[in-house]
Amino acid sequence: MRRLAAVDAGAAGLGLFAGQKATDAAALAPRLVIAEAEPAADAAALTALADWCARFSPAVATDPPDGLILDITGVAHLWGGEGTMVDDLVTRLAGSGLAARAAIADSPGAAWALAHFSPDRSLAAPGGSAAALAPLPVAALRLTGADAAQLTRLGLTNIAALAALPRRQVGPRFGAQVVRRLDQALGTAGEALTFRRPPSPWFARAAFVEPISTPEDLARASGDIVQVLAARLEVAGRGGRRFDLAFHGLDGAARRLTIGLALPGRDSGAIARLFAPLIETVDPGFGIEVVTLAARDVEALAPRQAEFPAGGKRADSEDIAPLIDRLANRLGAAAVWRAGAFPSHAPERAVKRRPPLAPAKAEEAGWRLERPRPLRLFRRPEPIEVMALVPDDPPVFFRWRGLAHRVRRAEGPERLAREWWRRPFDDADPDKARDYYRVEDEAGARFWLFRDGLYDPQTPPKWWLHGLFG
Amino acid sequence: MSREARLLAVRRRIAALEAGAAAGVAPFGDARVDACLPGGGLPLGRWHEAAGEGMELETAAAAAAFIAALAAPLAERGAVVWVMRRQDLYAPGLAALGFPAERLIQVCARDEAQALGALEDALGAEGIAAAIGEVESPSLLAGRRLQLACERHGATGFVIRRRLFGGRASEAGSAAATRWIIAAAPSAPEAGEPGLGAPRWRVALERCRGGRPGAWIMEKSDDASSLRVVAELGDRQLDPAPSERLAG
Repeated sequence: MRRLAAVDAGAAGLGLFAGQKATDAAALAPRLVIAEAEPAADAAALTALADWCARFSPAVATDPPDGLILDITGVAHLWGGEGTMVDDLVTRLAGSGLAARAAIADSPGAAWALAHFSPDRSLAAPGGSAAALAPLPVAALRLTGADAAQLTRLGLTNIAALAALPRRQVGPRFGAQVVRRLDQALGTAGEALTFRRPPSPWFARAAFVEPISTPEDLARASGDIVQVLAARLEVAGRGGRRFDLAFHGLDGAARRLTIGLALPGRDSGAIARLFAPLIETVDPGFGIEVVTLAARDVEALAPRQAEFPAGGKRADSEDIAPLIDRLANRLGAAAVWRAGAFPSHAPERAVKRRPPLAPAKAEEAGWRLERPRPLRLFRRPEPIEVMALVPDDPPVFFRWRGLAHRVRRAEGPERLAREWWRRPFDDADPDKARDYYRVEDEAGARFWLFRDGLYDPQTPPKWWLHGLFG
Repeated sequence: MSREARLLAVRRRIAALEAGAAAGVAPFGDARVDACLPGGGLPLGRWHEAAGEGMELETAAAAAAFIAALAAPLAERGAVVWVMRRQDLYAPGLAALGFPAERLIQVCARDEAQALGALEDALGAEGIAAAIGEVESPSLLAGRRLQLACERHGATGFVIRRRLFGGRASEAGSAAATRWIIAAAPSAPEAGEPGLGAPRWRVALERCRGGRPGAWIMEKSDDASSLRVVAELGDRQLDPAPSERLAG
């Protein structure tokens, strides 16, 4: 059976409602235009709208199917008050053709109730949620249909009546869910919201009277906003590791740029320079009206006493941090690393990539240098053709990449067993060992070869070249 | 000021620039090598080029080992950056050559231009003592840019010529202060010792600004990361590596 999923204002005026049978609705309004519901597209649009709302607050949570919850703590003053902020939000949404109702209250539950059941743009004063909620029907508590219907049947038509009941009766009679929703609405119980982005108090915003679009203007705007946030970080003695810059355009889309720092920082000049090459890639569309900047991974950062430059002094990590930042932001954070020792016998796993400026970890005991290890290690060992006099001996002759090499000296074997503890037990095969040899050919080139598996007279052994010594 | 005096001043400036006097030199500690180099050692604050021949042009193992041995003492003065395009540099192997591999900053670039850009950026940055780059062939312009970057803070650059996909080397001239051709040489373990001896290289100083070419066999000495000259090969080009490429 087909039912109406949503109705617009005109249809509602004709007495149609969501959940009505489509045939009934068509009978009531013969010229009714029905479009297929697309829940997935609605969810995607809601997510896009949540991103758009980042211009109002860094903390936006979606409330499916059709709601958004914005944490505007400490943000409203940017608009000159909560009333003007709500007006701005709803006006802009209306400008985009979206009908919206908004409300501001102390708790997400109270704001939800006011937005759905009070006149549009209701503002509950701080501490005034209970009074604002009192006359609303119990359905405003985000109860299930059955719960709300039962409460209404018992005569508890509004929230004030429900809140007046002794609490110890409410739970057993109507279920814990009702108590929890009531407490959430009144702000006495917490509510976990999944924000699209973690709320960051380190957030700055600049809006323009006239939309800007030239690269110079964008660069200047980003420089200004970086300075504002950097000054706040400086006062608080903190630095950020990641900065998200977003240009919100007239078309409603946000162009996001992110830079990362190897060490927490707040040097506005350095941060602006890292953004500069990225800004050139921004397509401003019809113009940019709002720029926001958020600092992430904010850490305490002690102010540093400038030192006299001493000759021959070893560079500490703060000296080279700007270089690491430039390289990491240009080539990608994964393209800059420092090799750290990892306790593993498998040569491929003995090296772990670490952030370039991370302090060495305690378990990094370094590599054991008494075992020969090549300078170049191939990611995949390359097969070689081998001639060995005795099956268990290093080869006397091998051919690699079409070139023949006569082995003059050899060292080994060093037997490296497979790390059976990383496999399922049945798969742990003691035969899967590699016998590594270091060999030198007549020209002096050194190779790291291994034979796969233990000696078995039935099958000819397989030989591989795994690395080169310099 | 007379014309002669002005000329003399300019000549002095040129000589100072040529010798790289500001950043000093790193002597090899062997008169046979140091005599070939201007100022009696490897000029610092300049950039140097090393290449292999034959298959080494593609794998660049011997050249990388030689450069690691040269750059290891510089790691005491500041950070060292290694820019590469193929990620086959193995840190334990570097550590075995006496290079502080756990402090080395490794950078992987996607193409030649990016690798040269990263190398130039690293050379011009504060706190960097040396930067090593594996690139195919820096053009004259790129070489000049590297030199300018070296001069900013006195960092020393090393370019390892490496063709990732084999083929012939392009013989583009370059602005390098020195150009070395490195090949592996058979080791000579002490009599009665089994296995391999300390690594040896045939090292040819092919070109050197303000110096003269030479060729030696060098060995990595056990104690430190320094190089020991085993034999002098004379001022001649090394024999080309055996290019016996068989079907297969």
